Amino acid sequence: MGGGRQAVQCELDDEKGKAMTKQNLRVAGIGLAMVTGLALTACSGGSTPNPGETGAASEGTTTAEITFWDPYPQHQSGSDWDNVVKACAPEGSTITRSSAPQTDLFNQLTTAVKEGNAPDVVLLDNPMMPEAALSSLLATAEQAGIDTTGIDENLLGPGIVDGVTYGVPMGSNALGLYYNADILEAAGVDPASITSWDALNSAIEQVVATGSKGITFSGIAGEEGVFQFQPWFWGAGADLSALDSPEAISAGQLVSDWIGNGYAPKSALTDNQSASWDLFLTGEYGFAENGSWFAAAAAANEGFEVGMVPIPGKDSGLAPVPTGGEFAVAPLQSKDASDHYANASAVIGCLIGGENAMQTSETLGYLSAKPDVRAEQVAANDQWTPWAPIVEGAQGRTTELGADYPAVSAQLSEALQGALNAAGDAAGVEDAFRTAAGS
Amino acid sequence: MALHTPPMPAGELVTEGPGRAPGARTGRLRNLRPTTWVGLAFALPLLAYLLIFYLYPLVENVSMSLHRFTRASFVTGEAPFVGFDIFGEVISSPQFWPTVRQTAIFVIVSLTFQYVIGLALAVFFRRVFPLSAVLRGLFLVPWLLPIIVSGTTWQWMMDADSGILNQFLGIFGVDPVWWLNAENSLMSVTIANIWLGIPFNLVILYSGLQNISGDLYEAASLDGAGPWRQFWSITFPLLKPVTAITLLLGFVYTLKVVDIIWIMTMGTGTSQTLATWAYSMAFGKGSSGVIRYSEASVVGTILLVIALAMGFIYLAVQRRQEADR
Repeated sequence: MGGGRQAVQCELDDEKGKAMTKQNLRVAGIGLAMVTGLALTACSGGSTPNPGETGAASEGTTTAEITFWDPYPQHQSGSDWDNVVKACAPEGSTITRSSAPQTDLFNQLTTAVKEGNAPDVVLLDNPMMPEAALSSLLATAEQAGIDTTGIDENLLGPGIVDGVTYGVPMGSNALGLYYNADILEAAGVDPASITSWDALNSAIEQVVATGSKGITFSGIAGEEGVFQFQPWFWGAGADLSALDSPEAISAGQLVSDWIGNGYAPKSALTDNQSASWDLFLTGEYGFAENGSWFAAAAAANEGFEVGMVPIPGKDSGLAPVPTGGEFAVAPLQSKDASDHYANASAVIGCLIGGENAMQTSETLGYLSAKPDVRAEQVAANDQWTPWAPIVEGAQGRTTELGADYPAVSAQLSEALQGALNAAGDAAGVEDAFRTAAGS
Repeated sequence: MALHTPPMPAGELVTEGPGRAPGARTGRLRNLRPTTWVGLAFALPLLAYLLIFYLYPLVENVSMSLHRFTRASFVTGEAPFVGFDIFGEVISSPQFWPTVRQTAIFVIVSLTFQYVIGLALAVFFRRVFPLSAVLRGLFLVPWLLPIIVSGTTWQWMMDADSGILNQFLGIFGVDPVWWLNAENSLMSVTIANIWLGIPFNLVILYSGLQNISGDLYEAASLDGAGPWRQFWSITFPLLKPVTAITLLLGFVYTLKVVDIIWIMTMGTGTSQTLATWAYSMAFGKGSSGVIRYSEASVVGTILLVIALAMGFIYLAVQRRQEADR
């Protein structure tokens, strides 16, 4: 970078300075200050050339070094996932994998593409796809040689922006309603009867009447809380384009009442999904809204038996849950683009194609985005049986709004926080949704 | 023994250093000796370092607040210059004035309590008693703990349903408080921040106290001044320079606090300050789902101006104190 060179230059001038006369020294000093100033101005004024939108995987060859970014810091070097990724290095190549949390990964990707040193492959959270594509961060699936055939339409949706496909889902997770089977049995609740909000509320009431607590969920500010709220929001028939509709407000009222009635912990306001799962694992709560990534932990839980039913719609049926999971994408490259895309094509193809598809999904704890692989997973492991229909009915968060989604999601987060703070107060809930919709 | 403690050099630095610098040098620049020039030359690398790593980012920050940056324009570099438009948008947004008010409350209440409690403890520890050094060391714990630990601990303690704070209040028949909801979150994060800041105040004020000659107290007690009178007529006036630097540093530190607030509430509800607002917009986290580089820079620039203004006020106070001597 220019800064480093500048510092070295300063020191060189420094050496020369010692030989000069006093008078000259002063002039040199001033001159140096000006040069430094100019160099800084030059740096701040400079613009990076646009990453080329040319290049295709078919025209490139894989290189010896392949970089791979994912949002799974929990899978450390040497973990199963780490091994699965590294085993996908083409002949003669090695994969360097690094991880960061979702938002940080996206921000780092933005800087990397600007600086022209983006990785070959990135796994990007699906609601970030439209913004990433429209910010010129991504190569198209066609350019990068990524095969998207056989992927379920609802799961591929977030990766299609203005009719162009930009990547492929690594699999999908979904939200369900876990329950503590011991508590439900003691309270005389049949989980199969929970097919509407009224049925759920009366089940929670029965559970609370026997001295247990009701339900845990995550209402934390930001996308994570919105993700958890969407099944209720969509299950009420609400639409992201009208946040202040009566349906939307009724969904807010539902979760707000849980807080107000003491069914749900007040910490839902700040709990993330791991924290709300930990609360459920205390064995004090009857229900927990949480993700399929805990399915294995639920099956192996020792203190009590854990079951799962799909989240009910307001009056009947399954509520559409938001699709969860990451897309494998190739960032736009300004140098040797074709080679980078060839790397991406080889690695992504290896991870989700053919034989490896099932192994990848199982390692990540996801259900495959391909129906045939998913059927194999269900056949091999009972824990997936109730999840398959939920994934099939899931709805892409950005499919309707595209790149406008993050802003609307932020408003919905504000509404949700307001509703939870209102603790059941109907006027407060309504006000929260109206204010958020107007902002 | 305490009466004859000699002044500590560290205390000397704190009280005298910053005050002496301005004024003393002016007029001498022209007659600098060659050795001084060599000294300056040795300082050049530092100067370059400051320019590159301090001034340049600051200039970039201000420049970013005058250009409309989005994620896309950040990549392409095509951010149009819009003058002070974004300043106007930020200041007229409905969140701005409430956030300024919350920031002011957070900073002023934090500083007041940190200073008063820190001073009380410093005066208390001035007497040497068995285990006083150990006890004083224990008061530094909040400073030594990683904030992720203390922040999470406060969050647990303030849990509305099962937190220890509410259980404690319950003993006295007080209804449980929902500490971290929108309404109370400012109070909660301020309490946690006061706890965090006490050690800093304690350490600096304590070293300032070491600088006050014990003879003064001896003389005062001979004249019949009680502890209260001694405090207001000796300790407090002689601590003024240390007080000024403590409050200035405390102000700047408190103004830019993000971590403790973010860990406890993510800046939701009333706990949003200018600093957490800037953070959430700059990285698209928390309540700001979208990345807003320019708006975040505007808030950053405003924070910078406030901190600078405080710096000048401090210098003015220092100069007046110098003149009074």
